[in-house]
Amino acid sequence: MNLADNLEDLRARFEDALKNSAGASSLDAVRVAFLGRSGEVTAVRRSIGKLPPAERPAAGQRINEAVEQMERALNEAQANAQALEVGASLSQRIDVTFPSIKPQQGSIHPMKRVMHDVCAYFERHGFAVVVGPEIEPDYYNFDALNIPPDHPAREGFDSFFLTPNLLLRPHTSPMQIRTMQQHRPPVAVVVPGTCYRRDAVDARHLFQFNQCEGLLIDEGVHMGHLKGMLTGMCREIFGSEQQVRFRPSYFPFTEPSAEVDTTCPLCRGAGGECRMCGGSGWIELGGAGMVHPNVLRNVEYDPDVYSGWAFGFGVERMALVRYDVDDIRRFFENDHAFLEQLA
Amino acid sequence: MRVPLGWLRDYVELPADPAAVAEMLALLGFPVAAIEMRPAITGVIAGRIAELGKHPNADRLQVGRIDVGDGAPLTIATAATNVAAGQTIAVATIGARLPKLTIERRKMRGLESEGMMISADELALPEEWFEDGIMQFDESLQPGTDVVEYFRLSEAVLDVEITSNRVDAMSLIGLARELAAYQNVPLRTPDLSHPGGGAGGPKAEVTIESPDCRRFVAQIFTRVESGPSPAWMRIRLALAGQRPINRLVDISNYVMLETAQPLHFYDAGKIPNKHLIVRDAREGERFVALDSSEHELNPQALVIASETSAECLAGLMGARNSEVTDQTTEIILESANFSGPRIRRTAGQLGFRTEASSRHEKSLAPALTAVGAARAAQLLAQAGATPHEPVAFGEPLSAAAPIEFKISDVKRLLGYELPLPEISERLDGLGFKVEPLTGGVLRVVPPAWRTDITCSADVIEEIARMAGYDRISSEIPAVRAHDIASGDYRRERKAAVTLAALGYREIVTYSLHGAQVYDKIRRAGLDPPARPIEVQNPLSEEQRYLRHSLGPAMVTHLANANQPARAFEIGHIFYNEDRQPLETSMAFFAFSAEPRDEPEWHDSNYLRAKGDCEAFLREMTGESRFETAADEREGFHPGKTGVVLMGGREIAVVGQVDPRLQRTFESRLPIYACRIILSTLPPYDVPQFKPPSKLPSTYRDLALVCDADLPAQRLENALRSAAGAWCTAVIAFDEYRGSQVPPGKKSLAIRLTLQKPDATITDAEADAVVEKAVSALHAEFGVTLRV
Repeated sequence: MNLADNLEDLRARFEDALKNSAGASSLDAVRVAFLGRSGEVTAVRRSIGKLPPAERPAAGQRINEAVEQMERALNEAQANAQALEVGASLSQRIDVTFPSIKPQQGSIHPMKRVMHDVCAYFERHGFAVVVGPEIEPDYYNFDALNIPPDHPAREGFDSFFLTPNLLLRPHTSPMQIRTMQQHRPPVAVVVPGTCYRRDAVDARHLFQFNQCEGLLIDEGVHMGHLKGMLTGMCREIFGSEQQVRFRPSYFPFTEPSAEVDTTCPLCRGAGGECRMCGGSGWIELGGAGMVHPNVLRNVEYDPDVYSGWAFGFGVERMALVRYDVDDIRRFFENDHAFLEQLA
Repeated sequence: MRVPLGWLRDYVELPADPAAVAEMLALLGFPVAAIEMRPAITGVIAGRIAELGKHPNADRLQVGRIDVGDGAPLTIATAATNVAAGQTIAVATIGARLPKLTIERRKMRGLESEGMMISADELALPEEWFEDGIMQFDESLQPGTDVVEYFRLSEAVLDVEITSNRVDAMSLIGLARELAAYQNVPLRTPDLSHPGGGAGGPKAEVTIESPDCRRFVAQIFTRVESGPSPAWMRIRLALAGQRPINRLVDISNYVMLETAQPLHFYDAGKIPNKHLIVRDAREGERFVALDSSEHELNPQALVIASETSAECLAGLMGARNSEVTDQTTEIILESANFSGPRIRRTAGQLGFRTEASSRHEKSLAPALTAVGAARAAQLLAQAGATPHEPVAFGEPLSAAAPIEFKISDVKRLLGYELPLPEISERLDGLGFKVEPLTGGVLRVVPPAWRTDITCSADVIEEIARMAGYDRISSEIPAVRAHDIASGDYRRERKAAVTLAALGYREIVTYSLHGAQVYDKIRRAGLDPPARPIEVQNPLSEEQRYLRHSLGPAMVTHLANANQPARAFEIGHIFYNEDRQPLETSMAFFAFSAEPRDEPEWHDSNYLRAKGDCEAFLREMTGESRFETAADEREGFHPGKTGVVLMGGREIAVVGQVDPRLQRTFESRLPIYACRIILSTLPPYDVPQFKPPSKLPSTYRDLALVCDADLPAQRLENALRSAAGAWCTAVIAFDEYRGSQVPPGKKSLAIRLTLQKPDATITDAEADAVVEKAVSALHAEFGVTLRV
């Protein structure tokens, strides 16, 4: 076969292939077969070598023209194929309301979320977050906190004992002592953690619960700083309109002491028939106050130089209010619906 | 403490609305747990029975002519049997509204009854605490007097919570003082001066042998008459929750409620030589109390004894032996002060608490002994008894120590300034003596009844209370820099966030559990902890042991779900080491999954768990490659458990939960779990960037036939080191055992990726590396290439 026939045959087969190919990917195959490095055109080019030198330029010219034509045709066909494919894709119509395919999603426990939110708030204000042991000797639980043996206030801390002087901490306050023993003022910490009390369990009480303790000690720290920080915390946890109220109370480790209430987030303080606050308009958060001078002396801080405050709130109780949960036991039941709803 | 508002109003002017009084008490530090409203009762008056006769038509009825003070006696029939002419009784007149009925004119067996004689029950008083039948009043009550108004029966009763430091306020006068000072109005106490009694009369002798009795006022009363108390006292006691008993017992309870000082009366005729001895109880001494309860005492208990026997368990209750009775004509009054902790210990030991001990154990002020004795003497004298000279034994009363502090401390603690006159006025209302010294120093003497005020902070709280806690402002402190780190907390927090991101739900379970957890472990043929940590005083058997692992609660949780689920918990576990209870912070995650149809030498669920474990460790440590070694761990499947190592140290255990435990914990699905001791995790090591080469890499997939028990990880490691510096990755991606390979062998498909740092790697170079590496593996493990 001469070159012309060769090229004609090639073009004919190329056009056939083009016609028979459907879609961009088979066009790629055609390109490789004919125009690729080891394709048919390359074979034709090689045949030029067999021609007399005088015919070679014209032959090369003809081959180049043929290649150009083939490339044009191929590009055109490819453009058409792509347009068809995009067109087909664009004409697709699906039911976008069909239920989604759910990812495997984890979650943080709602009580822990409240705990973390409280800690994050205090961290933003320069507090460190420290955690401590749940088994504590009575020295840290009571004596160092100005509650000597046989003190009537021990009654409020009905504790689980492991040995005569080792118990499951009934509050996170032992960490006040541990922290102050290890650091000199300024001390600014929050202490989240699990606590235990021998309370009969019902919709409002648990024998195991979590507390979040706060402690700030420095020169010039006063009760207004406590109210300010707790107001900010409540606004973070319950909503931007929250107010905080102090009522006098008694704790051996603080003086003056306060019970801390915050506006009921459900009735927004209106009271009435509110099922959450029982109509008082206030929710009790827990105890707080200025650290007792005896506690400061126990860790060798001079109460005439340093002052400070501490608070201790039940985290489940805060979560109960924040998420409007009907029964505090749910925080330990890990019911699927509960965890999923509050995820 | 139950506080009848009608009684409280005797001592202080108060708002009419009980809720307003409750609010005020709450803002003073005495929260009101409940406001018990009394039913509205009208039309009940006092009537005197002028005549009483039989009903003409009914044997069981009597008919009285009742003088109601207006000259028009009422004719009233009654079935009650405790009525007699001359009595002053409660009469509900026509139209009277009682809690359960309205009185109407009606005929009783043909005779018109113009009202009704009523009992305590109809006045909403506890029926069983009053006379059986018609309520009786003392003669002094004028016929026609409105009974509800006179006895303030419509006034609410507040249930007031009193903090343990304020035993002085466990009394009507104590609370009234607070309310008076807060409102800045006068306190109207009853006459608390001692009526005395002529010297030379009979006297009691008291010998105090224990330092735990600090003071003892003893006084003899003669010509004592028993019988019921006047109605006003019985009604007040009943509303306050105290059962009226008789005139003497009622006076002692009344004085305790009024002043906080418990009292005890002994029948003087039963006390030889009128000599009382305060001493430790004897070992095994028997004591029968007034309420007939019997106690075996030991020397920890303090008693007040006669020369022959214990007559009173100090601070708790008197003995039946010397109890006052209707025959008693002469009594010894005891108004004593005991050490709070001592009474508290005894009460705890005997499991015996009384109204008296609930006050004594909070350390009453010794000065109150005189107040209580004086008030009792007043009431006894009113009741016709003859008081004799009171004698005080024990420590002399000492004035409270003055407290000095800088006025500026008020602002230092409270954050706001109060002018001196206001401070003085506020403290004065509570009975403090205030004296300004030079240099801005204040000298304050607390009142004798306040044992809780011992330092300046106590005084400043009083100032704050009286000024109102609402005056405390809200400020954000500027927290100075400090060196306290949050590392442990942040690690726990990050672990939680990471596991949630990996698709696990956080759960929180109880750290205490019962023996059934150990039963399930035992039934699985495994050993529970040899020395579990046991709670000495659990409330229930479900709280006896401290968890040694987060596993049992997790497996229980997943078993309950009964469908594939994923969960994690972060919390402490507890264990004994050298008899010392210790604890550590753990992360535990697990999932349950349907079993897959896989050959017995392969478990893709295990690989998933391991993948999550590695992803978790990557996030926690910054490290990206971990080695795993097959091992056995309690609670895990003996053949499907790996320990994950970092730098040769075990940092996690991952595997299938032991199928025997799956069965005893009743999980339908197999469970795969991973536990990590958070405290042993190395700190996060920030990864350093190495720019990836832009040169092309090549790979070879090798099918290597080796011994079936050769771990893939070992082969990977060997291949990596044999392939040399150009090797950028080695990973096994398939495993085959069966007829295509000899018995005892397996075929591992491993992809080896190669790349030269400075030039494109050629096929020939890659093949040479493979050839060299395979022959090295052949030499080391007898590995051959599968063709």
